[in-house]
Amino acid sequence: MAAGFKTAEPLEYHRSFLKENCRPDGRELGEFRTTTLNIGSISTADGSALVKIGNTTVICGIKGELASPPTETPSKGYIVPNVDLPPLCSSRFRPGPPGEQAQAASQFVADVIESSEVIQGEDLCIEKGKLCWVLYCDIMCLDYDGNLLDACLVALVSALENVQLPEVTISKETDLAEVNMDKKRHLNIAKHPIGSSFAVFDDSIVIVDPTAEEESLSTAMMTVVTDEDDRLCTLYKPGGTSLSGEKLQDCISRAVTRNREVSKLINTVIQSVKPQK
Amino acid sequence: MSDCLKDKVGDVLLPGDIFSFEIKPEKVICGPGLRRNGDEILVCKSGILRHKQPNMYWIDSQQKRYVPAKGESVIGIVTAKSGDIFKVDVGGSELATLSYLAFEGATKRNRPNVKVGDLVYAQFIIANKDMEPELVCIDSCGRSNGMGVFGEGGLLFRVSLGLVRRLLAPQNAIVKELEKVFPFEMVVGMNGRVWVKAQTTQHMLVLANLLESCENMTAQQRQALFRRVADGAS
Amino acid sequence: MEVDVQSTLTLREFGCEQNLLSRPDGSSSFVQGDSSVLAGVYGPAEVKVNKEIYDRATLEVVIHPKSGPPGVRERAREQCVRETCEAALLSSLHPRSSLSLVLQVVHDDGSLLACCLNAACMALMDAGLPMGCLFCGVTCAIDQEGQIITDPSAQQEKNSRAVLTFAIDSAQRRVMMSTTKGSFSVNELQQCIAVSQKASEKIFQFYRDSVKRRYSKTL
Repeated sequence: MAAGFKTAEPLEYHRSFLKENCRPDGRELGEFRTTTLNIGSISTADGSALVKIGNTTVICGIKGELASPPTETPSKGYIVPNVDLPPLCSSRFRPGPPGEQAQAASQFVADVIESSEVIQGEDLCIEKGKLCWVLYCDIMCLDYDGNLLDACLVALVSALENVQLPEVTISKETDLAEVNMDKKRHLNIAKHPIGSSFAVFDDSIVIVDPTAEEESLSTAMMTVVTDEDDRLCTLYKPGGTSLSGEKLQDCISRAVTRNREVSKLINTVIQSVKPQK
Repeated sequence: MSDCLKDKVGDVLLPGDIFSFEIKPEKVICGPGLRRNGDEILVCKSGILRHKQPNMYWIDSQQKRYVPAKGESVIGIVTAKSGDIFKVDVGGSELATLSYLAFEGATKRNRPNVKVGDLVYAQFIIANKDMEPELVCIDSCGRSNGMGVFGEGGLLFRVSLGLVRRLLAPQNAIVKELEKVFPFEMVVGMNGRVWVKAQTTQHMLVLANLLESCENMTAQQRQALFRRVADGAS
Repeated sequence: MEVDVQSTLTLREFGCEQNLLSRPDGSSSFVQGDSSVLAGVYGPAEVKVNKEIYDRATLEVVIHPKSGPPGVRERAREQCVRETCEAALLSSLHPRSSLSLVLQVVHDDGSLLACCLNAACMALMDAGLPMGCLFCGVTCAIDQEGQIITDPSAQQEKNSRAVLTFAIDSAQRRVMMSTTKGSFSVNELQQCIAVSQKASEKIFQFYRDSVKRRYSKTL
């Protein structure tokens, strides 16, 4: 009976749960799904992380390459993020060039990196105007069940924490770069931008961490990104129904507490990885 | 933003404007561009609010794209013939159907002579958002009543839907003034298509250009233009 | 938290023309200072079978930059404009049809997304598509001293610490869309929203005046 109701009237099905302040998967309106994190899962990458938020699985691999810095900012290295949504992760994605959602997610991650200043561009510079690091951050979704953006950010930040780059010096005589593979160092992560996504139902009910089904039935989506100083890095709401100021304020406070939770998770995982080395 | 509708007749309204009913909910007929939303009336198109006694209101907008409405007469182009029906392009979002039996005097044996590419003047018998629109070329008594396939010659062109409604208004000044310039036949479809036929091709082109230029002209400008053309034509 | 709105609220010179293109069903050009966007709307028209939605119209938005092919940034903007338009349009009145909105950037001098949104709204209105409410775009920049500049130019955007763009609806003056760049505090966000809501009133009045001017000849 319930299964039939769910298939025939998915929106009514969700509404009947929301009326009782709970959701079909047993969560409360403001409850996130269980978040698990695994750091350093790809040994060939310079840094990597695997994140699961409920069923949503995202993996991020970071590869550092040497390049000459851009002419307009000669003393800064740069980060190139890319979000890939392969057909593997959900039936809604087709093979071929990246779709709109993948491109929008890439742009979102790039905007967050720029806005939050996760890494000072100067830290990636080796020699001004000559050589700098470029970090290619490839984020791939393995299982899509909503809330892609949150998972991407957690994966990105944890993978950046995991990155170890070899020391590079430019020799005076030959003017060539010398890579010292024995001396590796971690990056200096200045900020930890963590996102919290919200879905709006029927113009008024706000739920956090929506699943794919909830996303498709909702009337609007919003992602709030905060850093550890409780400053907002991004308030991303791509259209949809409007939201009042009070609701917005509630979402921001929820995002701040979420940031604490996730930061704690990242720290414990990093600590657990360290002693083994 | 809750004034009563009556005070706003003749004013320009924008989508999102909301009106509440005066005192008690009286019977109001909402025409194009107005929607009833609970106890309120919501404007959903930009344009001028018009009123007709006793309580009919609608928004007069200058839309270009035609959306079929039941009972409206339009000029269509037959684009395909499939079995018992013709597919007719009326400028809407999908092709309308026209049964071969929906012509005056048509029977299963006596099929009307309609070819692909022909123009038809027809009326919508079914037009709503959920169904395929259907046209007929007969009225409820089975008479053609002016509808059917167009004859040879003539010129078809498009104008805005606002201008079409002005042309079709009874006792319209534009048509009256045009009649004085030179004699012609004209068919105006609610879908923005106008067909004219005059003595020479040149006259037809002049007519088409005059009607198109009527769109953005005041009455004085128009009269002056028509007078100039009439002087030149004679 | 009372905000001194009047002193900070200055918008550049606005300009708008509707129905300037003959082919599209609705068109508009919107000018904010030196930023200028041209918009064209086609529809409701026939829809491709694979894009057909059974209970509402399919909306496609394309943004063409001034030069070069559209990139990832344009895609993200398209998504913002599309979802904002979808929320304002009563697209369930034209099921199984397609609406396409094409935005051509003529000149970019800051507040481009806001200008795109404004041009889109005017074009949708011109096409006579049924809408539940209007929307407008407002960009706010927070400069190094924490001052809020509304409708900034490209230079002002470059010098600022954060740039926030909102779409505000005409019914309740609430935030429909928001994208931001740079970091800012919650208090600054609330101030920017308040300023944008004030600015939206001016913009909606401007909309009304331009539509009135357009219909003045047939009044």
